[in-house]
Amino acid sequence: MRMFTNQLVPMALLVIFFIDALLLAGLVVLKSLHRRHMRSHDVRRHEYLGLLSRHISFENYHEPITETMAEDQAFLDALIDMRNAITGDEVSTLRRIVNHHGVIERQMRYLDSSILLSRRLRAAVALAELGDEISAGTLMRHLDDREPEIRIQSARGLGRIQWTPAIDQIVSRFSDEIPWVRVRFSDTLIGYGTKATWPLLAYIRINHRFDSKGPALALRTLAQIQDDQAVGPLLEVLDETTDLEIQIATVDALSELGSSEALPAVESLLDSEQWELRSKSASALGKLGDPSAIPRLMTVMRDENWWVRRSAAAAVARLPEGIEALYRSLDDEDPFAADAAAEALADAGELVTARERAEEIGVENEPLLAHMGSDVQT
Amino acid sequence: MASGALLCHDRHSVQLPFSPVSDKKRILVADDSETIRALLQTALESAGYEVDIAKDGLSAYELGSNGEYDLIILDQLMPGLLGLDVITRWHEEGLQAPVLMLTGVDDDRTAVESFDRGAVDYVRKPFRITELMARIRMRL
Repeated sequence: MRMFTNQLVPMALLVIFFIDALLLAGLVVLKSLHRRHMRSHDVRRHEYLGLLSRHISFENYHEPITETMAEDQAFLDALIDMRNAITGDEVSTLRRIVNHHGVIERQMRYLDSSILLSRRLRAAVALAELGDEISAGTLMRHLDDREPEIRIQSARGLGRIQWTPAIDQIVSRFSDEIPWVRVRFSDTLIGYGTKATWPLLAYIRINHRFDSKGPALALRTLAQIQDDQAVGPLLEVLDETTDLEIQIATVDALSELGSSEALPAVESLLDSEQWELRSKSASALGKLGDPSAIPRLMTVMRDENWWVRRSAAAAVARLPEGIEALYRSLDDEDPFAADAAAEALADAGELVTARERAEEIGVENEPLLAHMGSDVQT
Repeated sequence: MASGALLCHDRHSVQLPFSPVSDKKRILVADDSETIRALLQTALESAGYEVDIAKDGLSAYELGSNGEYDLIILDQLMPGLLGLDVITRWHEEGLQAPVLMLTGVDDDRTAVESFDRGAVDYVRKPFRITELMARIRMRL
C-alpha cells in the first residue's frame, strides 16, 4: 500500500504539471493570436480612416467600399471615430456611406438577434455612436434589455439622435434596479436640455410620495438642466413632501437654478428638525446670493450641530458683505459661532487678516486665537 | 488595399473642394487622434500643402522648434505636453509660425488662454473640414 502511494503521488504531480504547462502554453498562444488580431485590426482601421478621409475631402470620390470592408469591425470603428471628429455637411457624406452599405441595419440585426453578448454590445455602442434616426425604434425596445450596458447605450443613442419620444420612456426608467444605469439615464436626459424639464417634473409629482431614489435623481437632473420654468413646480414639491432625501434634492436643485423666488421657502427650512436639511438650506442660501439672508444665517451659526454652523458660516462668506459680517462674529459671545466664523474666514483665504482683526477688536477667546494662530503662515 | 491612391478615377475627374496652392506651404499637424491626423493630412495634401505629423506634445514641440512651418495646427489635449504648454514654449523661444489651436474642450477660458499665449486661431472639435480649410487658407 505504501509502495502504491509512493508511486501515485509523483505521478499525480507529474500529470498536474503537464496540465498546467498545457494551459500555460494555450494561454500564450491565445495571447499571441489576440495580439496579432488587434494589430491587424489597427492596420485595417488605419487604412479605412484614410479611405473615409478621402471620401470626405474629395467631392464625388468613388474609391470603392466593398461589402467585405463594410462588414469589418475595423471599418465600423473607423466610421465611428470619423463620425465623432466631424460635424456639419461632412456628416452627410458619412451617412451616405453608412446607408449605402446597410451598416445601421446590420447593427440593428445584431442587437436584436445575435446570441453573442459581445456582438450585441458592440452593436449597441455602434448605434449609439452613429446616431441615426432609423435605429430609434430598435434602441427604444432595448431600453429594457436584460443587459445593463445595452440599456445605457440605447438611451445614449436616443439622446444622440435627440429622439423626443424617448424622453418619457427614459424618465420612467429611473426605477431601474442598477444605480449606474439610472445615473447614465440621467446624463442622457441632461443632454436633451429643457425638452426633458416637464417630463421630469411630471415624474417627480407622481412618484415623490412612493419613492425617493427615482425622484431625487430626477431632481438632480433638473438641477443640471438649469431651466427656470422648474422653479415654481419645485417649490410646490418642497411644500408637499416630507421625505428628507427629496427635500434635500429639491433645495439643491432650487439653489442651482438660482431664483430668488426660492428664498422664503429655503429660509424657512433653517428651522427644520433635521440637521441635514438645515445644513443644505444654509448652503443653498449662500448659492442664491441674496445678502438679505445674512442675519438669519448668523443666528444659524449658533446651531447645536457643528456641520450646520459651518455651512451657515460658509454661506455668509459667499454673500456680498458677508466677510465683514464674519469679522464681526469673531467677537460673538457664542464661542462656537465665533469658531465657525474663523473657519469660514480661513477657507475664504482671509485668515491672516482675520487674526489681525481679532487682536484689534480685543477678542479674548484663547482657543479661537490659538486655532487661528496655528494656521497662520508667515 | 491601396492607401493614398485613387483606384477608380483619375485625379482630374474628381472635384476637389479645396483649390490647390501654387507654392508649397509647409504645415505641421499635431494631434494624438489618429482620425484627426488622417483627415487633416488627406485634406491638406489634396490642397497641395506639405504636411508633417506629430502624435504627441513633445514631438510637436521638437518638430515645431526645429522645422520651418508656415502654419502649425496644434491639439490642446495631448500626451507628453499639453498644447498650451507647447505654444508657451514656442512663444518664449520666439517662434514665428502661426498656430491654430484645436480643442475638444468647450471652454471659453481655454480659447482666451490660447490667444494670450500666441495662437492666431482656435477651432473646436468636432469641426467642419471645409471651415477649417477656409481658416487655413486665410492664414496662408
